[in-house]
Formats: sequence, C-alpha cells, structure tokens
Amino acid sequence: MKAIIIGGGKIGYHLLLTLRERGCEVTLVEKDMALCERIAEEAGTDVICGDGTDLGVLRQAGIARADVVAAVTGKDEENLVVCQIAKAGFDIKKSIARINNPKNIPMFRALGVDQTVCSTQVIADLIEFEFDKDVCRIVQTFERGSMLLVEARIDEGSPWLGSFVRDLTLPQDCVLASVLRAERVIYTRGDTQLCLGDAVLIVADREAFKEIKKALHSGGKHHAKNES
Amino acid sequence: MYIIIIGCGKLGRTLAFELSDVGHNVSVVDSDAEKLAALGSGFNGLSVRGVEYDDGVLRQAGIARANCVVCVTADDNLNITAALAARELFGVGRVIARVNDPAKKSAFELLNIETIDPTELVSYLIRSKLEGEKT
Repeated sequence: MKAIIIGGGKIGYHLLLTLRERGCEVTLVEKDMALCERIAEEAGTDVICGDGTDLGVLRQAGIARADVVAAVTGKDEENLVVCQIAKAGFDIKKSIARINNPKNIPMFRALGVDQTVCSTQVIADLIEFEFDKDVCRIVQTFERGSMLLVEARIDEGSPWLGSFVRDLTLPQDCVLASVLRAERVIYTRGDTQLCLGDAVLIVADREAFKEIKKALHSGGKHHAKNES
Repeated sequence: MYIIIIGCGKLGRTLAFELSDVGHNVSVVDSDAEKLAALGSGFNGLSVRGVEYDDGVLRQAGIARANCVVCVTADDNLNITAALAARELFGVGRVIARVNDPAKKSAFELLNIETIDPTELVSYLIRSKLEGEKT
C-alpha cells in the first residue's frame, strides 16, 4: 500500500514511522524546509518539501499510485483542500483529514471527505467516558461517530433495575442489542428483565445517547458512588 | 443583488464599498476583527467576524439569501474552502474566488471554482500598457 501524508508536524511524523513499520510505502510532504530536513535525517527517508495543495507537488509525491492520502496539517482548510484535490484530481479512494476544530466536522463530511479524525473530539469523548464510567459509556463508534455502541451498567441505583425491556422509555434512534450477564450474552426481547450487574449494550446515535444518559442519571444515587 | 465578501483585506474592503455604493446588499466576513474595523463607519452593510467557512458564520452573514459569494482572502486554501462551502452546502448560484498563488490556479480549476487571478491580470495590464506605448 502506498500512502501520502501531508503535514510533517508531530502527527505526520509519527504517522510516517508507524505506517512504515507496518510495511507501507509512505511519502511525506511538508512546507517547512528546516522541518523537512530534520524529518529526512531522523527518519532516514526522503521528504518532499512543498505545498500539499499544489498539484505538482502531489504528483511528485507519487499520488498517481497512492491508495491513501492523509492530510494532517494544523490547518483545517488546508486539510480539506488536500482531500478535495486528491478526490477530484487523482481519484484517490481513501482520503483522511485531521480536523482541529470539531465545529468543522459536519462540513468536512458534507463535502465528502471519507474519514475525519478530530483529536479534540476524541479526547473530549474520552474524558466524558471516564466520567460516565460507572453508568453509561461509549464502547465503540461507527460511521465517523454518527452511530455509537453504548454500554449501560445496571447497578443498585439504576432506574432500569428490574424493568422489562418493553417497559423502558427509550429515545427514537436507538436499539437494545444485547445484555451481558455473568459472561453470558442475552439477545434482548420485550420480556427480558434487567438484573443487577447486567451490562446493556445499546446502539444509538449521539442524541439518543445523551437522552439515555440523562434517563440513567435520573436515578440520582449514582453521582455519589464510585465503585473503583 | 445580495453579495457576501469573504476576506476584508484591501481588495475585500474596496469591493465592499464599491458594490454597496452601486446599491447591492453587501455583507463582509473575516476572522480578524481589526480588518473588519477598518471598514469604518462609512460602510452600511453587514460585517461578521468568524471562521470564514463556518456554516454558522456564513448563515449569520445571510448566505441563505445570497446571490453571490466572493472569496478574496490572502489564503488560497481559505478561499477554496469557503467557495466549496458556499456552493456545495448552501447552493449559492455564483461563487468567485481570488487566486493568490498562480501555481495554485490549477487546484481551483480542478474543483470547478471560478477565479480571478490578480497577478495574471496586473501583469497583462502592465504588458499591454508597455506594448501600447511602443506602437
């Protein structure tokens, strides 16, 4: 596989090393001459010094043969333009953009960037995750975060404890996938009763997740408790 | 016409005054408050400070009823991104962008963005002046 990385900052540099370690052919493009030289020396590889939004530079980087283009500069608009050019000009199947400002995520998606990575969002999610550890947490995200797999723990204070699945008030955009009970997987039906210690797996969108969280917190006793 | 000007540098400012003087509805967007302030009190259009391609900012500038968006910042990537947002997300009928680096013109063309390249224009004007004097 051949990958082109635009941006030789910390992310670009470590991406270069990681991908190369995995046997990928990687070319890095960076504007700053001094940075290029440093990377070339440290990583022992050729770095292309130039503007990643310049068609000539991309050609020189071998974009014609590239499978993936990852734009990871610190400027969102630059990353977007790289991905747009890669798609429109070189028919790159997979373009990945780093997004610095989470507010730009919807626009990048609307303009057809395949994958977006927003470290701000990821870290914010992780922090939220830590906070919600004992009640409800995101286990996995799909489709760039538009679909979530959420795990809800049923403990003593849970408003869901003892409820039948059919009696739960759930938001529109979510579905109860299964319950993990003592190493066993139960695929929930309306007559499944939720017991102490159950981990309920729910597929939901972000809005529904917020509502579920709110519903689970309404039990009230959670906040004071810390199991760990 | 309702025209949004993205970028309030010398070109954006001149354009804003000239267009509003002939009766167009003009709003100006720039992320730099100082540049917007340079418009002064003489400008009677709308000015919005914020990220030039942010949908909230563009909405505030009235993009829903804009007939035309002109992207004239000094950053080609900003111009391209704002132009794409205006065209693809808001369906603005006419979008024109300024090319700062002539080498980047092909990128604009690739993405079907109508451009004005000041370098090319000025060079043409100077050349025609000189050649006009010769004859």
